[in-house]
Amino acid sequence: MNTNLKISNVTKIYPGCVANDDVSLEFNSGKIYALLGENGAGKSTLVKILSGVVIPDEGKIYLNKNILKLNSPSDAKKNDIGMVFQHFNLFETLSVFENLIIDSDEQRENLKEKIDTIMKKYNFSVDLDVPVLNLSAGQKQKVEIIRCLIRSPKVLIMDEPTSVLTEQETSELFLSLKKFSEEGILIIYITHKLKEVMQLCDEVAVMRRGKLVSVSQINNENIESLANKMVGQDLKTIKKKKENTSSEQLIKITNLNFTSEDPFETNLVDINFSLNRGECLGIAGISGNGQSELFQVLSGEIISNKNSIEFNKNFIGDLNPQERREYLMAFSPEDRLEQAAIPQMAIFENVALNNFKSSNFFNNGLINESKIKEHSKKIISEFNVNTDNIDLKSQFLSGGNLQKLIIGRELITSPDLLICFNPTWGLDVGAINYIHETLIKINEQNKSIILISTDTDELLKLSDKISVIHRGKLSKIMNSEDVTSEKLGVLMGGGN
Amino acid sequence: MIVDINFVGLIIASIMASAVPLILASCGELITERSGVLNLGVEGMMIIGAISGFALMTVTGSLIIAVFGAMLAGVLISTIFAFLTQTLITNHVATGLALTIFGIGISAMIGKNFVGIPGKEFPVLFEGLKDTIPLLSPILFGHSIVFYFAFALPFITSYFLKKTKIGLIVRAVGDSPESASNQGVNVRLVRYACILYGGAMSGLAGAYLSMIYTPQWIENMTGGRGWIALALVVFSTWNPIKILIGAMIFGGLTIIQFHMQAIGVRIPVQFLTALPYIVTIIVLVVISRDSRKIRLSTPSSLGKSFYKDN
Repeated sequence: MNTNLKISNVTKIYPGCVANDDVSLEFNSGKIYALLGENGAGKSTLVKILSGVVIPDEGKIYLNKNILKLNSPSDAKKNDIGMVFQHFNLFETLSVFENLIIDSDEQRENLKEKIDTIMKKYNFSVDLDVPVLNLSAGQKQKVEIIRCLIRSPKVLIMDEPTSVLTEQETSELFLSLKKFSEEGILIIYITHKLKEVMQLCDEVAVMRRGKLVSVSQINNENIESLANKMVGQDLKTIKKKKENTSSEQLIKITNLNFTSEDPFETNLVDINFSLNRGECLGIAGISGNGQSELFQVLSGEIISNKNSIEFNKNFIGDLNPQERREYLMAFSPEDRLEQAAIPQMAIFENVALNNFKSSNFFNNGLINESKIKEHSKKIISEFNVNTDNIDLKSQFLSGGNLQKLIIGRELITSPDLLICFNPTWGLDVGAINYIHETLIKINEQNKSIILISTDTDELLKLSDKISVIHRGKLSKIMNSEDVTSEKLGVLMGGGN
Repeated sequence: MIVDINFVGLIIASIMASAVPLILASCGELITERSGVLNLGVEGMMIIGAISGFALMTVTGSLIIAVFGAMLAGVLISTIFAFLTQTLITNHVATGLALTIFGIGISAMIGKNFVGIPGKEFPVLFEGLKDTIPLLSPILFGHSIVFYFAFALPFITSYFLKKTKIGLIVRAVGDSPESASNQGVNVRLVRYACILYGGAMSGLAGAYLSMIYTPQWIENMTGGRGWIALALVVFSTWNPIKILIGAMIFGGLTIIQFHMQAIGVRIPVQFLTALPYIVTIIVLVVISRDSRKIRLSTPSSLGKSFYKDN
């Protein structure tokens, strides 16, 4: 049976922003549709409307010409619309089976049988009795998909499904999605990754600032044309010049181990690497493989053996972040609003948190406000932070501006080494470009970077050397020219 | 020295009796907390239950009305908490503390007229079997219905959470209210129900104190048992069976230290009085130190308000 889903003149306004501005779209089963747009373009709002999580201010939705009332997620389920959210909607402490039975009306035995059939049919293998928190991201996603399939949906919506997957898992997912589509399920695929749209989809709708910009057949598009539609301007591609870097060693990590008390953290096993001045070392990996622990060990949030970290000929393994900063290290953690900045404090106060002995931010225990403000203004202008109000609370900065502020705060003291963790996570293309340019500039000034990132393209673009972290172990260090994203994918999945 | 075996049985029975209010209140609070709500008002709800039960018994003369009235009083006062924390999204901790202070105050006010009035005898079950088996008889027979209910409750609670669909939904809401809401679960409704249930059990615990354990009204007669019940929930890592163990240890040490004080053991009284608190916590911490299990049974959203954005 054919399924026709129609969105007609949908508008959703949040205070201060129009998330969806008069959007109309039509989908038919048998095809895979891409909904493409940057962060904040309104695509997530649109699919939340389709799944009943958000109620639109205006507009109607039709399924097979019948008007749909979607006032809650259960309405969407009743109408056979299934949704796999970007941030998994699973209960971590419940077992896989408990997660599946919770919104099903079937008896245990029937449901078990049904799940078995689905797993066999699509070649999924997930242990039903383990708690979800023990699963990898790819497996969690399979649980979400099974949960949708149990209800034999007519429409399946996937919201940025590959952001946590390896290359291999991604191609498995694509195979499954194509199979679903052949079986008559209408698939709507939300993403900001252009490559995936070209690989998977038949039709593409592009959104920008809440508006629908274009709807077209994939055959008539290419990556550049889609990128320009998505951003609304021509993008310059930046490239790193590979120069001969110096051979002066800056940091050397020797037999660094970290054993966590918390069984849900990853232990680090025998980390060894060294980095020269002017180089960028990229560390790839699927999130949750020890990146956050590695960042904390390198930044001094977790203190280790004194001799395990040699920086500029000093042994600093037992120093805290503040002390390491005095040796000219700088850090940009993954979580901007929790670790890097304090959301309720003003921009200038956040700047003052990065306090050096030489910066004289404090006199006899009193805050030297004018000094800090002057310093903050300098950061804002040098690093293109789009605000002139340094009294603004940092939570009101956009992700991109906040990241520029943080990187600026770290770089203004011209450190020898910047360690950053997913610096462009969740940013729009413009901000990503700026951050990438800045990182390249640092290397050109003969300063070094350790870039821990889950974005393989970013790593290949910026790194001189690359290593992969898997279950707390680093692979051997490779020259980035010799590495392809496929090879990284294999290593990230634990292969050789 | 010859110890009368039935005397040992009696001591064990008295230990169990002193554990009853702790088990009732803890198992109620456990359900509340498993849904992600931290209600620090247990002490307040308990004492409201105590005065309501006693007052209703004196006024109406009916024990059934008194027991159910006490539970209803617990439900009513916990409705205030539920309305504040779930509908008006106030802070769980502050609201719970306010509830306790309110409960202690209002119970003292109502209770003024009931001080010094003797309680009524509460009927016991299986009294005829009291002398049949040595040692076990005094433990098993001749107790009130609330007593038997209390010792069944941890097992019922455990079964409810592990084996029933509603129990699963309660755990799911406590784990991630956002996910539950996106799955179509009415988070606010579930939390309301769990808070009200917790209130009913605290009310029953209070009624047990004022009607069965020491049948009379004394101001502030719960004497911190609500706080102990709260601690039991946390230190048992939200496991009803461990609550039973903890409540027995606490009850046991309380009774034993009384006896030790009575026979004049030369240990400072302050230390003896503190003993049950210290030992209970140590034992529960030791038997629950498996961090994996702690992670699996701790409600991740405990004490956090849930906002639904639309």
